[in-house]
Amino acid sequence: MKLTLLINGIEHQVEAASGDTLYKVLRSLGYYGVKFGSEGGETGVDSVLLDGKPINAGFYLAAQAEGHKIATIEALGEHPQQGWKLTQGLHPLQRAFVETGAIQCGYCTPGQILASKELLERNPSPSEAEVRDALSGVLCRCTGYKKPVQAVLRAAAVLRGETVDPIDGSAQPPIPAPAEWMPPEESPGDLPGGFDGGFATQTQVMPQIKVTPETEAWQQVGKPETKVDAVKLVQGKPAFAADIEMRGLLYAKVLHSPHAHARIKSIDASKARALPGVAAVLTYHDIPRVAYSTAGQSDPIPGPLDCFSLDTKVRFVGDRVAFVAADTPEIAEQALKLIEVEYELLVPILDVRQSMQPGAPIIHDEPDYVNFADSDPTRNLAAEIRIDIGDVAQGFAEADRVFEAEYVVPKVQQAHIEPHVVVTYWDEDDRLVIRTSTQVPFHVRRMIAPVLGLPVKRIRVVKPRIGGGFGGKQEMLIEDVAAHLTIATKRPVIYEYTREEEFIASRSRHPMRIQLKTGVKNDGTITANEMVALSDTGANGAHALTVTGNTGHKSMALYVGDGKYRESPNIRFYADIVYTNHPPCGAYRGYGVPQGFWPVERHMEKIARELGFDPLEFRMKNALRAGELHPFSTAWSEGREPRPETIETCGLEECVQQGKAAIGWDQKFGDQAWHAVPGKPHLRRGIGVATVMQGTAIPYLDMGGASIKLNDDGSFNLLIGATDLGTGSDTVLAQMAAEILGVPVDDVLVYSSDTDFTPFDVGAYASSTTYVSGAAVVDAAEKVAERIKIRAAKMLNAPDYQTIRLSDRQAVAQDGSSITLAEIALNSLHHEDQEQIMAVGSYVSPVAPPPFAAQFAEVTVDTETGQIVVDKLVMAVDSGVIVNPITASGQIEGGMAQALGYAVCEEMVYDEQGRPREKDFRDYHIFMAHEMPELETIFVETFEPSHPFGVKAVAEIPLDGVAPAVGNAVFDAVGVHIDDNPVTPEKVWRALKEKN
Amino acid sequence: MIIEYHRPDELVAALDLLARKEPVTVPLGGGTVLNQPSETEVAVVDLQSLGLNLIQSRGRTLDLGAAATLQSLLDAPEVPLGLKAAIRHEATYNIRQAATVAGALVAADGRSPFATAMLALAPELTLQPGDEKVLYGEVLPLRDEKLPGCLITRVAIPLNVQLAYQYVARAPADLPIVCAAVAKWPSGRTRVVLGGYGEAPLLAMDGPNPQGAIIAAQDAYREAGDPWASAEYRSDVAATLTQRCLDEIKEQPAR
Repeated sequence: MKLTLLINGIEHQVEAASGDTLYKVLRSLGYYGVKFGSEGGETGVDSVLLDGKPINAGFYLAAQAEGHKIATIEALGEHPQQGWKLTQGLHPLQRAFVETGAIQCGYCTPGQILASKELLERNPSPSEAEVRDALSGVLCRCTGYKKPVQAVLRAAAVLRGETVDPIDGSAQPPIPAPAEWMPPEESPGDLPGGFDGGFATQTQVMPQIKVTPETEAWQQVGKPETKVDAVKLVQGKPAFAADIEMRGLLYAKVLHSPHAHARIKSIDASKARALPGVAAVLTYHDIPRVAYSTAGQSDPIPGPLDCFSLDTKVRFVGDRVAFVAADTPEIAEQALKLIEVEYELLVPILDVRQSMQPGAPIIHDEPDYVNFADSDPTRNLAAEIRIDIGDVAQGFAEADRVFEAEYVVPKVQQAHIEPHVVVTYWDEDDRLVIRTSTQVPFHVRRMIAPVLGLPVKRIRVVKPRIGGGFGGKQEMLIEDVAAHLTIATKRPVIYEYTREEEFIASRSRHPMRIQLKTGVKNDGTITANEMVALSDTGANGAHALTVTGNTGHKSMALYVGDGKYRESPNIRFYADIVYTNHPPCGAYRGYGVPQGFWPVERHMEKIARELGFDPLEFRMKNALRAGELHPFSTAWSEGREPRPETIETCGLEECVQQGKAAIGWDQKFGDQAWHAVPGKPHLRRGIGVATVMQGTAIPYLDMGGASIKLNDDGSFNLLIGATDLGTGSDTVLAQMAAEILGVPVDDVLVYSSDTDFTPFDVGAYASSTTYVSGAAVVDAAEKVAERIKIRAAKMLNAPDYQTIRLSDRQAVAQDGSSITLAEIALNSLHHEDQEQIMAVGSYVSPVAPPPFAAQFAEVTVDTETGQIVVDKLVMAVDSGVIVNPITASGQIEGGMAQALGYAVCEEMVYDEQGRPREKDFRDYHIFMAHEMPELETIFVETFEPSHPFGVKAVAEIPLDGVAPAVGNAVFDAVGVHIDDNPVTPEKVWRALKEKN
Repeated sequence: MIIEYHRPDELVAALDLLARKEPVTVPLGGGTVLNQPSETEVAVVDLQSLGLNLIQSRGRTLDLGAAATLQSLLDAPEVPLGLKAAIRHEATYNIRQAATVAGALVAADGRSPFATAMLALAPELTLQPGDEKVLYGEVLPLRDEKLPGCLITRVAIPLNVQLAYQYVARAPADLPIVCAAVAKWPSGRTRVVLGGYGEAPLLAMDGPNPQGAIIAAQDAYREAGDPWASAEYRSDVAATLTQRCLDEIKEQPAR
């Protein structure tokens, strides 16, 4: 049908099918600010304004929109600098989103801005609750909503004509660090444990300039710089993988298995192939059989090779059966229905406890399965871990009490709002280009090459903007589908997961059953600690060993004991990671560690309560400290050779103190009056805590690279292989480069990442980017700075180039004479002794310094229904020096929001046939703007000596402690222990019934 | 899958289209459910030009145009607080702009807070053709049989009724595991409706007074077990929530 659509004031005549959604038509017209989030429109990233009201274009027909005014993000604001042309600049809302750090991945940003625009037009002075209601229709998995809400309130003030404070940290002075935490002036490295850094705390919404002494002179590092990619994202520019037009583009679809375990007896695709508009149908008959792992990890991949692009067997509901490429998505869908498949049904394994039982069906019986280490497909064993540190048996023998319990953690989804999406095509040199939303472009290139029968050098992987990943895109998950179809058809192919595919055919966090046994002396000293984990890897073993290894490596490292046990802790960590017929698991932010801290922190709470100790004092008595050996560092290292590693910095004690103060622990814990809710006898308040640690990169393995090039005007191109998946890593890396090169961040043009142009980087995982890639950037920047100084010394007739300093876009000599970087650049490129000032740096770390944190939760529990409301979350974290307080606090807030879902509502459940209960955001609930508790972040800075800027990781640790803190708070409120999370109303209700 | 789109200006034209046997033709409100991917081929009749989006009070009745959006209902000052709470729980701000009253009622499953609260109010639907008046509670279990070929044009709810809505969910904006809505008329008539389970909200009691409401709620959900919650839990909590609704109504001013 012919439609006339009025979009952003322009009439468009379009031809559309009756059922075409407004989303589809807008995208076809090039309005890429409208995004795909789900078939059901629950995400709101497809928001547009229809007659000024926000609606979801994904479930609104284009035909319905005829006769109405449609506004997309493209109608709002523009870049403030467009050469000679004067522009209106960004809209105040867009400016506020940029300034407040409300943008992380930016995928939901256009939707949030449009919803906010409508709000401010009808209500110029909204309350926070009204802002949250207006944003309720746009899901965000990155931010925790705190900064977007602030952005709207700030924009409202601007639009009302009010003056707003600059966001530079000046409005809120930092909390002074206690004197005892400051480093002694005479010998910073002499404190116990090699501690050589000061502590400082910064807090609140816009974290403040920290007072760690080492950072005081810095101009860029430590400052709340706006994100380098924010301006394009607030305008909804076509930055993401799917935002591309290509002539002859085909749409890929995959036929997924309806059965959890079956052999394909026959498959007939002839009818599908005959359908007009179908370019290719591929079954296992049509493509080479190559065993591979989807896990995006360094070579050699520490896991079995147990995947095939297409196989004769299906191992979970959602497994691949066939690929289709067609002219339209609708034709491709139709073709899927025409593929005739005859299955021989096999008995599925859906209970992890049955997987290794004698006589259990074998899930991987293929002869071309490639083992790694102790994997044994004949026993459904993907990986096995046996770690004994010290003498565990003796430790238990020396204990006065031994506490044992079993805990369960669920399978949960990363739920990034941008789904997996890839576009593949042959370029003019017949090289295969893979434009994909991935955290690991270099791993994808290396791993996909043998699967496609192409050498690595004939593949180019381009990572555009990523709309969130959280580990879900640390895979080579769907790139092969599009690539096989491009090879088959010679045409470009796009494959974009539906939301249902994200749930049935993506990756998830490993569910586990974990037994804990802890020996304790009557004085509260832990004498031995044992964890035995049974981990469900699902149908494939990607990340099986390493995720579960980290479960023990981090959570079981925190409590070493006290006294002689601190010197020589007794720790056991055993794990079996087994195959089942559930969808495969993989990497999810936290990488096994949240699974470990649920049992450990619930267990510590029980022990402390049972023995009558203050829960925090008990923890601190036994916790790892600076100067001590990481107990697992000599025992295990992600399938590689372990090497001893000393904890150089540990701000945990200070985190506890700051967190306690922020949540009012001393006023609430143990105060019965506080626990009661006046006038509501069925409600009880509770407060809980968990202390946690993570890692920072994988030592001796994770490598980052960077190159920096000086341009004619004194600006720099920074090319990095690191992948900013919304975390702000492009920005913090630019800040580090800018600090060394003496320029504002604006002068550093960041590009990431493209396997043809940018240096290698393992990618965004293991909380490594700021630390490892950052050190690579520093390495490159220092080399460039040296070349600049040498030339500046010559130009200034300075005797020693090493006395030149770079600052404010100038090279300044000791005598005060100076020359601009632009002059140096022109000199080097055009005037004399011409050279390109440029350098490459790289870095691999010998250590993985752990960040530490204390996470607090305050809850209200309904004793009659079991309902829990989380009222407040506080996280005090030692992540070393904070390079950018805004982006870092955004990471913490977003991480707490994800972890909150893990605590109370997120889980993936399967029926007796292995069919999933959760296939959309209606059933899989992730937190929305209008239901979030209060969030508070406190940074307790230490200066990690192994990094030039003293940083440690920030990205993953927020996932670790929220759930156990909530579980502990529930116990504090109503006196029942819930040992399997999420803590749902019925579990609490049932526990209360049993207690009473 | 939508194979035809019509936007008639006249009710008669809409009814003619809806009366067709082939292709199957259904009314389109906001499209929040109907426009989602489906394998069923349907033609749709968009109601937006029929003037069915008005909300107006008529004595002790509030007339809701079938195509009135949930947001416009939420914004209407006459709407009982309990219904407002249910609307907020039903849908986010974006979806409330598009979702219509009749669409939400017709498409509801047992987990719909809005349908639960509305059912408690015993709304009267006006069906065309024929200007037939029918109670929502009568249509709800027979939607597939009763509604084809028909168009709901108006939904009337009483204004003199007190309404309370309570729920339990894993998170504040999550779908209810159990929800309860209790409506009480000045005469004492009390309707208890439960949601959170099954194909549709369930009328647990419609009595001359609140007596027996708790037991009725408990009984109504005695078999209401599914993968989301056990029947034992739902039954117990249904009673609790019903009691709370009754308590809340006592605190509300008379309407």
